[in-house]
Amino acid sequence: MSPLELIRLAFSRLRTSRLRAALTMLGVIIGVASVVALVGVGQGTTSNITSRLAGLGTNLLTVNPSSGSSGLTLDDVDAVAAVANVAAVAPELQTTGTVATGAKTTDTSIIGTNASYAMVRAYQVWQGTFLTTVGVEQKLRTVVLGATVADDLGLGAAAVGTQVSIEGLPFEVVGILQAKGGTGFQDPDNQVMIPVGVVQKYFVGTGSIRTIGISVASVDEMNAAKADITTVLRQQHGLAASAANDFSILDQAQLLQTASSIAGTLALLLGGIASISLIVGGIGIMNIMLVSVRERTREIGIRKAVGARSRDILAQFLIEALTLSLLGGLIGIVLGLGVSALIGRVAGWGFAFNPTVVAVAVLFSLAVGVIFGVWPARQAARLDPISALRWE
Amino acid sequence: MAAPIIDLDRVSRTYAMGRLAVHALRDVRLQVRPGEFVAIVGPSGSGKSTMMNILGCLDRPSAGRYHLAGTSIADLDDDALAKLRSRTIGFVFQSYNLLPRTSALDNVTTPLLYQNVSRRERVARATAALERLGLGDRLTHEPSELSGGQQQRVAVARAIVTNPAMLLADEPTGNLDSAAGRDVMALLTELNAAGRTIVLITHDAEVATAASRQIHLRDGRIAA
Repeated sequence: MSPLELIRLAFSRLRTSRLRAALTMLGVIIGVASVVALVGVGQGTTSNITSRLAGLGTNLLTVNPSSGSSGLTLDDVDAVAAVANVAAVAPELQTTGTVATGAKTTDTSIIGTNASYAMVRAYQVWQGTFLTTVGVEQKLRTVVLGATVADDLGLGAAAVGTQVSIEGLPFEVVGILQAKGGTGFQDPDNQVMIPVGVVQKYFVGTGSIRTIGISVASVDEMNAAKADITTVLRQQHGLAASAANDFSILDQAQLLQTASSIAGTLALLLGGIASISLIVGGIGIMNIMLVSVRERTREIGIRKAVGARSRDILAQFLIEALTLSLLGGLIGIVLGLGVSALIGRVAGWGFAFNPTVVAVAVLFSLAVGVIFGVWPARQAARLDPISALRWE
Repeated sequence: MAAPIIDLDRVSRTYAMGRLAVHALRDVRLQVRPGEFVAIVGPSGSGKSTMMNILGCLDRPSAGRYHLAGTSIADLDDDALAKLRSRTIGFVFQSYNLLPRTSALDNVTTPLLYQNVSRRERVARATAALERLGLGDRLTHEPSELSGGQQQRVAVARAIVTNPAMLLADEPTGNLDSAAGRDVMALLTELNAAGRTIVLITHDAEVATAASRQIHLRDGRIAA
């Protein structure tokens, strides 16, 4: 019998028992749909994290003091600024505090930095200006508001030039940043920036800083810049040749890689768990096919009497199982893509169609059909026509 | 005389029932020539069903040789046997054995499916067979929508659609009322008159009178 005839036969069989076919396929539908949806969600998360980190600046290096060291200083910042290929350097000294204007207050991060911060951390100014070099040197009480803070305080474009209070001290608003957007782990817009000297003087009472952010001129120079900065900082800190670094330099690209590999592993894990339901669905198909072989014993006997060979019967039942699993797989793919598109829409990371996932899902449901269809089909093919014909 | 289509040479069939050996057929010799209408008659337990299974190549003899249309079936594997069966024999069963939930037309096309006949030709031949048996207006009816006599006629149509050398009918009237039974016997007689070899297996001596030769089975032997 030609495969086409077998498929036609399988479909006419499915038509005569629609409800049973639908219920049998349900297991595979749910299995494939959850695999496709979870892998889709996993990939959405990965690309979301990746793009968020890329938004922080891909040619960004951050220097942090090792625990137990004396920390980093503004002199270190000046020394690093002199290194070749360094485009911009910004100190970062962070604390938290309350910002208020009129009756409105909000708790936010206060970042003490310099004029280069906006470039290093890839912020755009929406209104007014960023901190100025002069203002930072003079330790003027000026502030740049992050978009979220401005929103929380109900401040718009007109707020530039007005005063807000930070921890009770009056500051002049010189600018408001454009929103970077993004929800999730840390809102990059929920912060205010003031000169680093002001933070040291009024809020933390220390001469050291927490972090140095460095923007390297080009991504290709990252490793060279990293090595040069290490040398300069070791000199600054007067470390002996045998001593270990008392700071660490973090590469944004590295962070990106780590984060996306974690997300990838997570997606794989979710997909793996979902594929268990696919196996359960396959067992459902096997179950129904075995029942079907028993129920249709007489039919098998009749077919053998009118000329079917064992392999015709084997092929018929195998194709039936395959049709069920493949049809279920296709419905599951559509459903899974729909669900992941919906989740992507709600979570706001868009929907990426991944042909590999679809191909794998199709192959997987084919495999389920073959693996769980062979046994019942062999049972059917082995039936003895005489006893099959007598079966009531 | 033409070469026999059926040639049983000292055929025996023994079943093992636990330790007991049941001799369903013993040393049966039988020849049927093309165009004959033979009735194999016997009470239940006489070996009729075993005879039917052996003649229909659904079962193999324990001893002796069976030549069907000149081919010794002992030399054939199961697939070759299935092929020989589908080309040489058309079955008509007591309980019709139609495929349930399948139209009369699809029932009749089924044997052709296994002979790799094209769909168009299958439909044409099956339609012709059903029309010949007066079922031209029942093509799309399923077995449950047909009377017993109509179902048996569909079964006969299925048996002749492959144009087999021989029809093997096992109690074809057993489930029918007498009118429908006479109808089916008339049909078989007509097919025989058109040249088809028919082997009828029955317990009913009256039904057997339609045949031109009667063979009586008793306790697995031919009584004469």
